[in-house]
Amino acid sequence: MSNAVQPSGAYGGLAGHSVQHLSFRVRQARYALPIDLVREIIEYGEITTVPMMPVFIHGVINLRGNVVPVLDLAARFGFELTVPSKRTCIVIIELALDDQQQRIGLVVDAVDAVLDIAPGEVEPPPPFGAGIRTDFILGMARSDNGFTIILDMRRVLSLDDIRQLSLAAAQGA
Amino acid sequence: MLNGEQWSQLLQSFLEEGGDLLKQAEECLLVLDGDLADEEAINGLFRAMHTLKGSAGLFSLTPVVAFTHQLESLLMAVRDGERSLTPNLISLMLRCLDELGSMIGRINVETGAVEGNDEVLQTQLLNALAAEMGQGSDSLPTPTAPREGQVQRAPATGEGAWHISLRFSPDLYRNGFDPAAFVRYLSRLGEITHLEVLDENLPDFHQMDPEACYLGMEISLRSASSKAEIEEVFEFILDFCKLRILPPESSLSDYLQLIRELPETDERIGSILVASGLLTEHELNTGLTMQAQGEEPRAPLGSVLVEAGMVAPAVVNAALEKQQVVRERRAQESSLIKVAAHKLDELINLVGELVISAAGAQLQARAHGHSDFIESTQVVNRHVEQIREAALKLRMIEIGDTFNRFHRVVRDVSQELGKKIRLEVRGADTELDKSVTDKIADPLTHLVRNAIDHGIESAEERLAAGKPAEGHLALNAYHESGMIVIEVSDDGRGLNTARIRQKAIDKGLIDPNANLSEHDLHMLIFAAGFSTADSVSNLSGRGVGMDVVRSAIDQLRGTVEIESRPGLGCTFRIRLPLTLAIIEGFLVSLGGEYFVIPLDMVTECMELGDQPLIDGIYGYLNLRGKPLPCIDLSAHFDLPASAVRRRNIVVVSQGRQQAGLIVDQLHGELQTVIKPLGLLFQHLQGISGSTILGSGQVALILDIPSLFRQLQALVDTGASETRSVQNRQELLPRL
Repeated sequence: MSNAVQPSGAYGGLAGHSVQHLSFRVRQARYALPIDLVREIIEYGEITTVPMMPVFIHGVINLRGNVVPVLDLAARFGFELTVPSKRTCIVIIELALDDQQQRIGLVVDAVDAVLDIAPGEVEPPPPFGAGIRTDFILGMARSDNGFTIILDMRRVLSLDDIRQLSLAAAQGA
Repeated sequence: MLNGEQWSQLLQSFLEEGGDLLKQAEECLLVLDGDLADEEAINGLFRAMHTLKGSAGLFSLTPVVAFTHQLESLLMAVRDGERSLTPNLISLMLRCLDELGSMIGRINVETGAVEGNDEVLQTQLLNALAAEMGQGSDSLPTPTAPREGQVQRAPATGEGAWHISLRFSPDLYRNGFDPAAFVRYLSRLGEITHLEVLDENLPDFHQMDPEACYLGMEISLRSASSKAEIEEVFEFILDFCKLRILPPESSLSDYLQLIRELPETDERIGSILVASGLLTEHELNTGLTMQAQGEEPRAPLGSVLVEAGMVAPAVVNAALEKQQVVRERRAQESSLIKVAAHKLDELINLVGELVISAAGAQLQARAHGHSDFIESTQVVNRHVEQIREAALKLRMIEIGDTFNRFHRVVRDVSQELGKKIRLEVRGADTELDKSVTDKIADPLTHLVRNAIDHGIESAEERLAAGKPAEGHLALNAYHESGMIVIEVSDDGRGLNTARIRQKAIDKGLIDPNANLSEHDLHMLIFAAGFSTADSVSNLSGRGVGMDVVRSAIDQLRGTVEIESRPGLGCTFRIRLPLTLAIIEGFLVSLGGEYFVIPLDMVTECMELGDQPLIDGIYGYLNLRGKPLPCIDLSAHFDLPASAVRRRNIVVVSQGRQQAGLIVDQLHGELQTVIKPLGLLFQHLQGISGSTILGSGQVALILDIPSLFRQLQALVDTGASETRSVQNRQELLPRL
């Protein structure tokens, strides 16, 4: 979990050691998350819609008796809501939000592989052109077949952000 | 009212609470160590001390109250900005907390006294605190000297010594035990005043087996421990020794019996007893002579002595009784098991999963059409249902236990204040979640104390006002609309709104010109630092009590309302949701989504006719001649429009408010566990939680009060918009 607390943009914290990441696809682009955060990957199943929430908060699922919220990453990045296909998955991650351990499911189009990413392979994000908000990006991992965007989950799941959007959604309803 | 046993139980729960409070206080201090100006932490620390003092007061733990009172006074000065904290002060206070912890640890659950209280250390600590505070030392009253009648029972004085006789078996060494180790351990229980090793059995050097133990010991121990505790010391070697324990101040006959039972000569043992100061030479001689003169067959020594008038029967029995009490208490403790709450939650989750998988198995069985198979899955299902019900009940406890402790509160506080008050408890069998009971006890204590201190008038005042001299205080609990309601009501003078208003203005809480309703004024007493009592008493008037009440209730997501009638009394009504608990729900669906409405809120269901609502989402219908406001839930929640032709209305009500919820289908009643939705959904209005249905699907629980509030807000904004338009129109001609 140590890499979860790194400030965004600075990816040199673990000098020398390569860190395992889970890589996955959302639309055409490849993204990655430190594997420490990932608890499990489950098949896309029935999701209960929670009304009056921003569109990217897909709803909640029953994960072995626990009710876990599910976010649609594509919608969070500003794309259309995911239309589930055979390869659609929910990646269950666990991280501390507001000092509480929270489990959250992320809808992704497909899960790719586990990558070893060395700090030397990580470039700072370009100011624009990555297709998603720059502050969501922790770094860009170079590899033979292009770049993988390492996500800053703390920003993607920023509670303040979500709160504002929820209030806006509730007022719009 | 309360017997000794209940009393001990209450004291036991205070010991636990005290430990928790000290832990909280320590955490706050550690926060302050990092940031000296952290207001939250100062308030938290102060509240912890205040609550500890209050609770200790209930049990007449005078040394704890006196010590805490000093700490609290210091903290109040800090909170009000008259003094500032320094790192030194924090370390000193940490030491004070340690001392408090050890005071609480020394409380004897049976006698309710702090044993071996170290007044010297406490005075030192307080003086050091006062010195660190600088000029503040003058304002600190010196710690009260122990008053007469509260002298502590110190273990080393006034109590006789236990006499322990040990005869080791020859196998002791071979089994790897060292008698010296047990003696060392024994010395932890108290002071060993006399120890004699008996080596009479040592054989001649040639015949001696170096691996065998030939020794015995006679030990005198001054200790406040019970016989069982002393016995425990020797637990491991009970099989390898003969152990005899005589309680302090045993009757002469007991010693004589010991002398006779031991293999050594009477004189040898007798001289040891005399040497250890347990018997005098004269007593020993008289006893032995009398025993020798007795007729055959010898009557038991005890009765010989009793007949001779040397020992009163009570003395013989006293020691035995003490042992009996200890044994009974043990049995009681073992009939209850303490389990960590998260283990229960885990169990309930697993049982929930089991219900779903059992339902799955039953579906499979039906698909196969094998009748025996179907039957056995049905049996399994029935048992699973029973397990689920039992598991859910594990968390629920009656509020009576919490209410019972107020008998003592009321008695003590009213005695202290010289008021006569009768406490009435109703609804003690109302069940609520254990975690809620734990958290509501403190706020209730504050409310009860406030009611007695401020609410109920003195007997003279009451008689002058034409009321009976005896005040009446009532605690009441009942379930209402899926909530538990706890009421604390008194027949006292009621809240003095004029004084509350003045105080709030003085404290800068409200604007002097503010136009507040009666209700708003009442709620002011929950503001932090608000206190109308002019004198600071031990009980209340520090201006934290009500603050504690409100924050504790807020944490439970409950509400508190005050109903006060001047001269007639005041009722505090606390409503708490049964979060984490089971609710009786009514399941409905909108399209493919399921929703649960708390059953207590549902008054009736009916079919929706053909007439459309006025603006598509909201409207009203004719319910037996009265207009019933209605909401189309799918439209309100922005869900896809319904394709169902025959829709239904569920009429819900809260208090006097009533509304119809238009839904697609009704699925009937169900009992479910509420699962919180988590941080992401904390601002969601109209939905309080979720639950997992038998099919494994998640259903959302509607929060009717919040839905009503939301609708009210919609109406209000609508109205104010209209008003502002009107205002503008009025302004126009003038421009």
